[in-house]
Order: sequence, then C-alpha cells, then structure tokens
Amino acid sequence: MSNKTDMVKAGEKNIEKTRTLEAVLPSVDIYESEEEILLFADMPGVLKEDLKVNIDNGTLSLSGIRKLQPRGAARWEEFGDVEYRRNFSVPQTINVEKVYAELKDGVLKLHLPKSEAAKPRLIQINAA
Amino acid sequence: MLLKNYFLKNNGINIDTNYFIPKFCPGNGKGLKFIQAKTLEKGGIAMFTRLSDINRLFNAMDFFRNRLDSLYSDVDWAYTPGLKWSMEDRFPKTNLYEDGDLFEIRAELPGIGKEYLNVKIKGNYLEISGTRKSTTPEKYSIHRTERDITSFTRSFTLPADVDSEKAKATLENGILSLTLPKSEAAKPKQIKIA
Repeated sequence: MSNKTDMVKAGEKNIEKTRTLEAVLPSVDIYESEEEILLFADMPGVLKEDLKVNIDNGTLSLSGIRKLQPRGAARWEEFGDVEYRRNFSVPQTINVEKVYAELKDGVLKLHLPKSEAAKPRLIQINAA
Repeated sequence: MLLKNYFLKNNGINIDTNYFIPKFCPGNGKGLKFIQAKTLEKGGIAMFTRLSDINRLFNAMDFFRNRLDSLYSDVDWAYTPGLKWSMEDRFPKTNLYEDGDLFEIRAELPGIGKEYLNVKIKGNYLEISGTRKSTTPEKYSIHRTERDITSFTRSFTLPADVDSEKAKATLENGILSLTLPKSEAAKPKQIKIA
C-alpha cells in the first residue's frame, strides 16, 4: 500500500516543465548588387532594443525577441512571444565596419556593403 | 486502438467487447496486464491508477517532437510550413483579447504601411484587408525571396457588437492593434443585489 502512494507522488513531484521561448525563423529576402548585399527579414512586433545583429567569423546571426503585452483575457491567440532567430554565412568580402541596419514596420533591413577590394573594377587598358 | 476503444466505450458508445484493456497492476511486478473487456462487463472497472504517467508519456512525446523539429534548424527549415510568418493561408495571424468594456485585435502585418491597410467595422463584423508591396530594389540580383507579396482580406465576427465611432487603430513595429470598445448594449453591467 505504501508502495502505491509513493508511485503516485513520484508523478506529482516531477514537474517537468521548462518554458522556453519558441524560436522561429524569420522569412528573408536577400539581394545583391555590386556595392552591397541587402537583407530583409520579417520580424513583426520586435522592438529595436530587443534586436541583435551580430557578425562574427563569417557568420551573421539575427536574433529578435518579441514580447507582446497581452491585454485582458485572450479569446484567441494565433501568435505569441517568440524569438526570431536565424544564421547566415557571409562572404569574407563584406566590410563588417560599414554594416548598418534599419527597422521599419517590423521589417529589418540590413545593408552589408562589400569591401573595396571585392567590388568589380573596370581596368583601363593602356595602349603602348 | 485499444485505448481508443476503451474510451469510446466509457463514453457510452457500444463497440465489440473482444478486445483487451490494459490495466495497471503495480503489485504483480509487471506493472501492466491486459484484461479481456468481456470479463469487465459486469461492473468491473479498469482504471489507470497512474494517469499522471500517461500524461508524462505524452509530454515526453511532445518533447521529442520539438527536438526533431529543431533538428532542421541546421538545414533550411524556412520552407517548413508553420514555422515562419507567412500569408500562405492568405491572411495574417491575429490575437483577440477581451478586457472588460473593450476588445483588442492584434494582427501581424510586417512591412505593410498604413496607407496599404483597410479596416472596416460594422456591428460585430470586422474586416482587415491590405496589400504588401514588393521591396525588391532595382539593379539587385535576387538570392532569396521568402517574403510573400500578396494582398489579403480577413474578416471576423466579434463576440459582441462594438462602437465603431470609438474604435482606434495603431500600427507599430508591424503589428496592428485595434481597440474596439463594446457598444452600450454589449457592455457588462454590474447588478446590485437587493
């Protein structure tokens, strides 16, 4: 009998709940010109302060955390707090110093300018 | 199948009784044995003495499923449906909150300027429509386009009538918030106890 109660308690003791923030991949558009690589990423609801763009050793990582402040009781909820997270490999030709980002209407626009050496150059041919 | 039949039976649905029911018997060493349903017909009850174990089993399955989902993070799981913001279903995701006298609708609308959005309210009918314009810059070659360019319309029937005159809409960081005060008739009223 005592054996049985122990078993029931074991189930109650093990509260195996870990609430982790769901990681979601943002949709991206990537364009390239001779001057730069341009990246758009959808991150609705992410504030500027909660967005991190990191370039390290050829890897670009985006991380944006969305914290919704719910109001009252939810009747239905199709989206919640998430972390938008995605990594990309960037070519070595990117000038990391000059990378800049804009956040507008929940869309991150990231400019990755190419370094001077990587830009195509027109070579003049001198007639001898 | 066995479990399903067992639950069906308990809900008053008649099914074949020639199946076996698992029964937890912690005493006999095995923990679980199967009893033919026929033998339980006459008032016998097969109960899971440790229902919490079953819950935990299912929790574990969820856990593994999540793990498996995240396996794809190294590969390209952008194309897995449900894992990204999309208008595949032709409408954006929304939340509806109710807070006493008002409703609040929030919709995920990244990259849509307010000039491309339309909101219509009538009684308890709400319609949100919009168009997402292409952001493709000129003279750029395209590597990837996952962000859809579509127009959408989504309509809702709210749980109660709202006062469209007092409705407010804000668009911030790609999230549209509509504050919709309930109409006088639909507001909750405090009733005094005599």
